[in-house]
Amino acid sequence: MPKHERLEAAVPWVRLESTPEDWRAADPALLGGMLAELHLIRAFEETVLELAGEGLVHGPAHSSIGQEGGAVGSIIGLRSSDGVNGSHRGHHQFLAKALTHVTGGDLDLSALVTGDVDRVLQRTLAEILGLAQGFCAGRGGSMHLQWLEAGALGTNAIVGGGVPMGAGNSYAQRQSGTTDLTVSYFGDGAVNIGSVLETMNLAAAWTLPFVFFIENNLYAVSTTVAEATGEHRLSGRGPGFGIPSWRVDGMDPLAVHLAMTEVGDRIRGGGGPAVVEAEVYRFFHQNGPYHGSAFGYRAKTEEAEWRARDPLERVGSEMLGLGLIGEAEIASVRTQAVEAMREVADRLTEPDPDAAGKRRIRPELWPDPEFVDVGIRGDGSELAGGRFLEPLDDEGPKDSGRFVDFVAGVMDRRMAEDPRIIVLGEDVHRLNGGTNGATKGLAKAYPGRVLGTPISENAFAGLAGGVALDGRFRPVVEFMYPDFLWVAADQVFNQIGKARHMFGGVNPVPLVLRTKVAMGSGYGSQHLMDPAGIFSTSPGWRIVAPSTAADYIGLMNTALALDDPVLVIEHVDLYALPEEAPAGDLDYRLPIGRAAVRREGADVTVLSYLSMVRHALEAVQQTGVDAEVIDLRWLDRASIDWDTIGESVRKTNAVLIVEQGALGTSYGGWLADEVQRRFFDWLDQPVLRVTGGEASPSISKVLERAAIARTEEVVRGLEEAVRRMGGR
Amino acid sequence: MATVVRMPEVLAGASEAAIQSWLVTPGQSIGVGEPLAEVETEKAVVEYAAETEGVVLELLVSEGQPVAVGEPIAIIGAADEATRVREEPGPADGSQQRAPEPETAPDPEPSPLADAPDLLPSERGGHRAAERRFASPIVRRLARERGIDLALLTGTGPDGRIVRRDLEATAAGQGAAASETRTPTGSPKQPAPSPAVQAGPGGPPAAFVDLPLSGMRRAIARRLTESKTTIPHFYVVADCRVDGLLDLRRQLNAFDEVHISVNDLVVKAAAGALMDVPEANVAWAGTAVRRFATADVAMAVAVPNGLVTPVLRGVESMSLTQVSAAAADLVARAKAGRLKQHELEGGSFAISNLGMYGVKEFSAIINPPQAGILAVGAVAQRPVVDDGALGVGSVMTVTLSADHRVIDGAVAARWTAAFVQRIEEPLRLLL
Repeated sequence: MPKHERLEAAVPWVRLESTPEDWRAADPALLGGMLAELHLIRAFEETVLELAGEGLVHGPAHSSIGQEGGAVGSIIGLRSSDGVNGSHRGHHQFLAKALTHVTGGDLDLSALVTGDVDRVLQRTLAEILGLAQGFCAGRGGSMHLQWLEAGALGTNAIVGGGVPMGAGNSYAQRQSGTTDLTVSYFGDGAVNIGSVLETMNLAAAWTLPFVFFIENNLYAVSTTVAEATGEHRLSGRGPGFGIPSWRVDGMDPLAVHLAMTEVGDRIRGGGGPAVVEAEVYRFFHQNGPYHGSAFGYRAKTEEAEWRARDPLERVGSEMLGLGLIGEAEIASVRTQAVEAMREVADRLTEPDPDAAGKRRIRPELWPDPEFVDVGIRGDGSELAGGRFLEPLDDEGPKDSGRFVDFVAGVMDRRMAEDPRIIVLGEDVHRLNGGTNGATKGLAKAYPGRVLGTPISENAFAGLAGGVALDGRFRPVVEFMYPDFLWVAADQVFNQIGKARHMFGGVNPVPLVLRTKVAMGSGYGSQHLMDPAGIFSTSPGWRIVAPSTAADYIGLMNTALALDDPVLVIEHVDLYALPEEAPAGDLDYRLPIGRAAVRREGADVTVLSYLSMVRHALEAVQQTGVDAEVIDLRWLDRASIDWDTIGESVRKTNAVLIVEQGALGTSYGGWLADEVQRRFFDWLDQPVLRVTGGEASPSISKVLERAAIARTEEVVRGLEEAVRRMGGR
Repeated sequence: MATVVRMPEVLAGASEAAIQSWLVTPGQSIGVGEPLAEVETEKAVVEYAAETEGVVLELLVSEGQPVAVGEPIAIIGAADEATRVREEPGPADGSQQRAPEPETAPDPEPSPLADAPDLLPSERGGHRAAERRFASPIVRRLARERGIDLALLTGTGPDGRIVRRDLEATAAGQGAAASETRTPTGSPKQPAPSPAVQAGPGGPPAAFVDLPLSGMRRAIARRLTESKTTIPHFYVVADCRVDGLLDLRRQLNAFDEVHISVNDLVVKAAAGALMDVPEANVAWAGTAVRRFATADVAMAVAVPNGLVTPVLRGVESMSLTQVSAAAADLVARAKAGRLKQHELEGGSFAISNLGMYGVKEFSAIINPPQAGILAVGAVAQRPVVDDGALGVGSVMTVTLSADHRVIDGAVAARWTAAFVQRIEEPLRLLL
């Protein structure tokens, strides 16, 4: 019979309850502040449901009624510089953070609604209604509420999707030397998703000042916690990651506050992340003004039991018992909150002239439809004052070296000059510069700024996104292989790619993502894609794909100076090539939207990028076709050089788009579409394309070669273009 | 019951035509077979006879206005009938008026050019839709800007698409002339053309006048460009001693009732040479070389504002006086615009004679589907050498343009020799 030794988690996991002693000891101003915020949020949410019932809230309105205690209890003690983010059910957290920001958590119960409070209520409701005066100019609505000034980092409609970004914010707080912390709120449904679990691991590994705040309201829509997981005490997730965890009655705002005070003390002292699970209950269904019991997944008796524990009642009755407040005063708080919301709603709506007795949104408050695409990305004005250099025109002395040495060299130079830059990715800190030497020497030169990550692309990409949104640091993320974009797709596209536009179009997201195309290396179907095509579908991203070391230097410097997320694509075929770049100059930039004409020609315009530029030039030499070879450099819709392309197409009247990878994820489709629309009257033949095959490249050397495009495929493309030129 | 008269398909493949002149007026009674109008197409002016008896109620198009084939042009009915019939939607099928003569039906033999790969397969007989000519976008743009008619070009791109190189080939060749005589109509930089003298903005009146293209001019431009850009021309020049010929002509013309022209003799000699050298009596048929049994010789006839090429058929079996009479008839009717469509079609060879203008020699452009054309210069007295002695003789220089696809150099030379022999031994022309 084997011997068993009982193991204990290395960190504590506790359940915290308040005692009458605690209530007596509590600062009356704190209790008053809680009561005020609870009532304001309750009245606010009732107004939202009322408007939703009238059809004036476009999209879902996820009510937090019943859950206010967890948010108010946890937030009222936070600093404005502490961050919070949340999920689709986030009105209460956002309001608690915003109200605490403008009042310091100290509200006068006899004059509840100050001008600042009123403005918070109105701008929040306006945002939920999708109006121009909202916090995100009406773009975000109910599920994307952001007010960075107040530390409200933005709520998120992807379950668990905001958690990695929240961790990134906490990284920036700690790296800046502050004792601030970040709280990420999410529900019981999100606790089982990868973003949350990966981030638990990452935050614990990096000792981040970060709170995973689980609002366990027992139902993920209609699925119960017990159905969804084997450990329904969800704070039990923490100890497995080495994260101390608290479980607390979320209907008791003081208990939550006490738990958060313990958590905060620990975190601000450098103790690393914590999990807080608040047991709460939403009085209504997932969204809309109906009770959950109406949908049959829970009993009316259960709802009645939870309603009896309403956090508003709890704080009111405790204060009454302590003699801190009278019945009339409590009723007045309620009345003031309801009245304030009635006025706010009246300012945003008006009687509908077409339907007696109904309201409508005041038409003048809608955003201008012209605003639809404003602020998808920055305007590049942050590059002003930088020094541009066009390597094609540079006739000065040159430095020689391998391409990859310039890759590491320019990053070294930038990190030396700009302390904001941090590098993170798998093995970037070891192996003498990562798997290819692209980060060579950086870990030693810049301790603490080159971070080897766990293998969890979604979490570390999202974390970098949070760092970028914070703005104090400029993360450079490496994906070892481009295909990992799928693993991290939520963070890369839903979060990083959309963050600027979705929250109103003004907050920069300075982030560089490096990855290398590895076609030809034998890594097979799941490692050999070209990411350009997929990233070009996400308009928030800029994309560069340098074909020479000199271009790489200029493009990387521009990418690191831009306030937008930039994908920098490298290629394993290029790394070892002997290259030249302007001697001793690792500081110049290449401007946005400037392509390079590598060869002038009259018969066909070849549009290519990355390693395929060299294959195209080889093919031109072999065939003798008088092709004009354009190295695009910038690939995204906003940055591509239409001037150079247009000038060439007007001359040649024929276009061949050359890339290496598989057809399905290929880049050239949108470009061909755009070329034919912009230059239709200049074309003498259809836009032709060279791509890889239909399937992703296999590991077998022969099959891999057959699946990708190189010089021979470009030769065939050129011959096809010539055939279509006619003439006898 | 009123009948809608529609623009007849007087010419194979023609999609539009114009009423050159109405021969009736509204209110006039008309019988079947009586002339209704003269219809001008690219190639011909055809008299169009009524196929319905009645009173001309209304003429729907004015003279000179191009009208699509099948469009209503007139209404014939009873005298008291209202013309509301014109409001009825007219089917463009069975009720469509046919050409007045069966001879104007499509050429039973496809023209050589119809087999070129740029053309869509054309339907035989019945109504034919206007041919769709594929051209790349840049070609359409440049053609619009330069005022080049795409119908003049031959496509060498995939599936016969007209591509940039085709346009450039035309611009480098004959098309240049076309572009000079045309004013861009689609270019926003140019004012719309009008027949009036154009005045530049703020400047003196421009020194040109834009004359609207007639159907004939369009046909000439299209066909000659097509010919010169698709047929490999080569040329053979010969001097003919015509003292004997002129002498014979004088003797023949001494008879009252005949008037033989030098051109009649040239036509007869050419027909004879085609019989002597049957390898030259051919046409390019795309997938074959077509050899003819008879000598059908076309004559280029200058008419007001252009030229037409009526064909004399079976010249080899006609007497000289028959040739002369038939030629005179064709020339007279050509100048009067009274040729029938069938008289303009076919032929394997053509004569273009500018001798009456004193031209010494010139080269002519082949008129497809024919494979050869003889350019005839003026008869003039020139120094000649006979048996080492210098003298004065009447000499006429002729230049054969041959389609090198079907006529080799030696064949052309043999034909030319046969022609010269017949001219210089003119009595054989009477056999």
